[in-house]
Amino acid sequence: MRQAGTPARAQAKAQAKGGRGWRRALPHLLPWALVLAGAATAAQAAWIPLKAQLAQVLLDRAFAESVERGEPVKPWNWADTAPLARVSVERLGVGEVVLSGGSGEAMAFGPTALVDGGPARVTVLAAHRDTHFRFVRDLRAGDAIALERIDGSVARYRVRSLSTVRWDRFAYPAGGSTELLALATCYPFDSDRPGPLRRIAWAERVG
Amino acid sequence: MRRIASIDPRNLLAALLISALGIALAASASMLSARGEEAADPFANGGLILREKGVATEMPAMRLGTDIVAKVAGQTARVTVTQAFRNTSDKWMEATYLYPLPDDGAVDTLAMVVGQRVFRGRIKPREEAREIYEQAKAEGKKAGLVEQARPNMFRNSIANVGPGETVLVQIEFQAPVRQVAGDYALRLPLVVGPRYVPPHSLTTASGRPSGEALADAADVTAPTAHPKLGEMLNPVSISVELDPGFVPEGIASPYHRVTVARGKGAARIVTLTDGEVPANRDFELSWSAPGKAPLLGLFRQRHGELDYVMATITPPSLGPAGEVPPREMIFVIDNSGSMAGDSIVAARESLLYALGTLRPQDRFNIIRFDDTMTQLFDEAVPATGEQLATARRYTAGLDAEGGTEMLPALKAALVDSRQKDDGSLRQIVFLTDGSLSNEAEMMAEIARNRGRSRVFMVGIGSAPNTYLMRRMAEAGRGTFTHVGWEDEAEAKMQALLDRLSAPVASNLKASVEGGNLDLAPRDLPDLYAGEPLVLLGRTRRLEGTLTVTGTIAGREWRRSIDLADAGASDTVARLWASRRIAEVEAQRWSGELEHDLADMAVEELGMDFHLVTTRTSLIALDETPSRPRGATLTLEELPLLLPAGWDFDHLFGEQNAGAASVDPDAAQDEPLELPETATGFMAPLQQGLALLALGLVALAWRRRRVARA
Repeated sequence: MRQAGTPARAQAKAQAKGGRGWRRALPHLLPWALVLAGAATAAQAAWIPLKAQLAQVLLDRAFAESVERGEPVKPWNWADTAPLARVSVERLGVGEVVLSGGSGEAMAFGPTALVDGGPARVTVLAAHRDTHFRFVRDLRAGDAIALERIDGSVARYRVRSLSTVRWDRFAYPAGGSTELLALATCYPFDSDRPGPLRRIAWAERVG
Repeated sequence: MRRIASIDPRNLLAALLISALGIALAASASMLSARGEEAADPFANGGLILREKGVATEMPAMRLGTDIVAKVAGQTARVTVTQAFRNTSDKWMEATYLYPLPDDGAVDTLAMVVGQRVFRGRIKPREEAREIYEQAKAEGKKAGLVEQARPNMFRNSIANVGPGETVLVQIEFQAPVRQVAGDYALRLPLVVGPRYVPPHSLTTASGRPSGEALADAADVTAPTAHPKLGEMLNPVSISVELDPGFVPEGIASPYHRVTVARGKGAARIVTLTDGEVPANRDFELSWSAPGKAPLLGLFRQRHGELDYVMATITPPSLGPAGEVPPREMIFVIDNSGSMAGDSIVAARESLLYALGTLRPQDRFNIIRFDDTMTQLFDEAVPATGEQLATARRYTAGLDAEGGTEMLPALKAALVDSRQKDDGSLRQIVFLTDGSLSNEAEMMAEIARNRGRSRVFMVGIGSAPNTYLMRRMAEAGRGTFTHVGWEDEAEAKMQALLDRLSAPVASNLKASVEGGNLDLAPRDLPDLYAGEPLVLLGRTRRLEGTLTVTGTIAGREWRRSIDLADAGASDTVARLWASRRIAEVEAQRWSGELEHDLADMAVEELGMDFHLVTTRTSLIALDETPSRPRGATLTLEELPLLLPAGWDFDHLFGEQNAGAASVDPDAAQDEPLELPETATGFMAPLQQGLALLALGLVALAWRRRRVARA
């Protein structure tokens, strides 16, 4: 490497003021520190969507296997969650494997079911607005959503309305006559910070 | 020795890296901005009104009936509004209801009636009142809360109403009676029209934390009742005891059928002929004085350490002061979706009438806006026959569609191309229903950039936002009127245009002997023909004479009033306070007063005078818990009727198509707390990339210097 030759005059000046080691090293270190800190932050942030994507690849495999075997198959050995269904919107070209249990850890890998089955005949799925449920922003009334379960059955829903509610003001109809599917994610979509609002896409079973 | 940097492979590498990063940054930036645009999407479908609360297609479990009793004494109305909340379900309920009141009213009393027991409301700072309410709610106690969302918009919340139970919430307010040219009017709004919330006002670009902005948007909106639920969802009965101090003549209610009966002395009792009416349009009652209107009203009240005075003075009207100088008139017409139906017809008719009054020496322009805007001409043009014909064709072709983005239109209207004052008047006339939630932005824009322009407001339709009309006109030193429907357009516009030809009285000042008079507002406004001067002041000791001076038709005018003649009234102090609060708000918009200081001032006034403000709420509490432990509480926000004449299908059609069967937002639901669903990786990613880029640039720059050395 070429000698980083500071001009002689500046060097003399730096010496005259003392502390020459630091003063000489700082201009070298600072840019590198910036580069390292930046790279670390960016990599850490970029890992989130990457992980979300990667997990879906593994989950796809686990889902296919689950359908074949007719029972939940863990996507990887240490996973504490298993595929439940695959939710897809043909118009937007999205398909995501849904995981059981609405834990925050599972949500890093895919949408999770907060409510599913039971007497209410309502399925509520939640996922992050900036990864798996980014598409909720583009949903329109009338869009078709398919929910393919690991038992091989496919339920078709149609989006009926979109609404925004506070996280603590959400409710779903219990004991209604229609089967409903709700996709819930954070709102507004362009915000960087966590907020109290959630966007809900309500869909009704049509077949 | 000098080497050329570009052939150094290391520098080349750095340059490559930096440009790659630059591209990556630019890409992520453009991705972000694209996201910003798309964020508006939820509002882009349908009529662009914030429909977050949706359309209610089933009858609410909590039914509401409202009874309004107004007593008009002299210049002031004292109004009692009783809302009966009846729980028709078998669950314990909490209900919230958004309702309008006159924008210059001051709510000072709350009572909650449960069976035979009455619980009085206390005034508390907003957050404290909310806390008391939430705690009582959690403990199963009945509680009633009155909060202000806008000066003309209030929200009542009531917690723990048992199955089959009825709870009454009674509020009282007082409001001044509006007087123009010997005619008096009391306007009681009955419904809040769906408000358009501009997407930009929800993001951090609005200068407020986005959480606060979103909470505000939620405050000013309510679910809209589907027309199939019928009109009698929240029925209202009204009776007015009219005792203005003279025998009222020509009692009329333009929008409701009324019956007038004789009361005590000169008083008249006005009731609705139909008994109950749907809460879907403003109620207005007008009357006039026989012969010559009283030219002076003078009242006083002692409150705390100070004396308060209200004087209503009608300055002499000297008739038109010769020829009206040439005018530049900018008409701004709202053709957003909320205007669809009767309103756009009335607005077009009003504009066509105004165009007909222009003279060749006048100049004019038309600006129309929804979520886009168009100026008919690049700048104001002379009102020649040809230009007017173009303008008429343009006006007749206006359809109502889209959101209500008024700010760009206002900014365009305030652009004054001929700033040097050549004696001509510049007048901006707005025709709108004011169905928007960013009122403050309008006032701020006018306060900052009004220049020589004056702003006049024509509130269109059955439930216009009178708060916006009055305050925009005040900030723009103009005046306002209402056009309820097409048939009123000509008469109301004629009256307005006659009045706005020139202010009749200006430079108004008031003083009392031996002391300062603390006026609200501090600077008295200009008066237009027929408008009385309503002067509200307070002073340490009110005695001697009150002197008002001003300029009328170019001449000095002076009037002295003996304060010994003042009648006692228990409304004056609160009227003063509510006027002062309006002034504090105006100072907040114009930037004269910082946000926090304005909040403090409003809170202090609210606490001192026991008034509901943006900073103070009334809370009533039943200390005995009534909801049994274990019984869950179901929240319901009561749906509102669409204002009369509004086009439901136009506003809600697209999004609601085929949504007739069940409503997922309806009550009898299972509550579920939704998890946090945002990874928020974008911000750190960008910060990281920016840091990285900065470091690389610094490195490259150093290398370059080294190479040159």
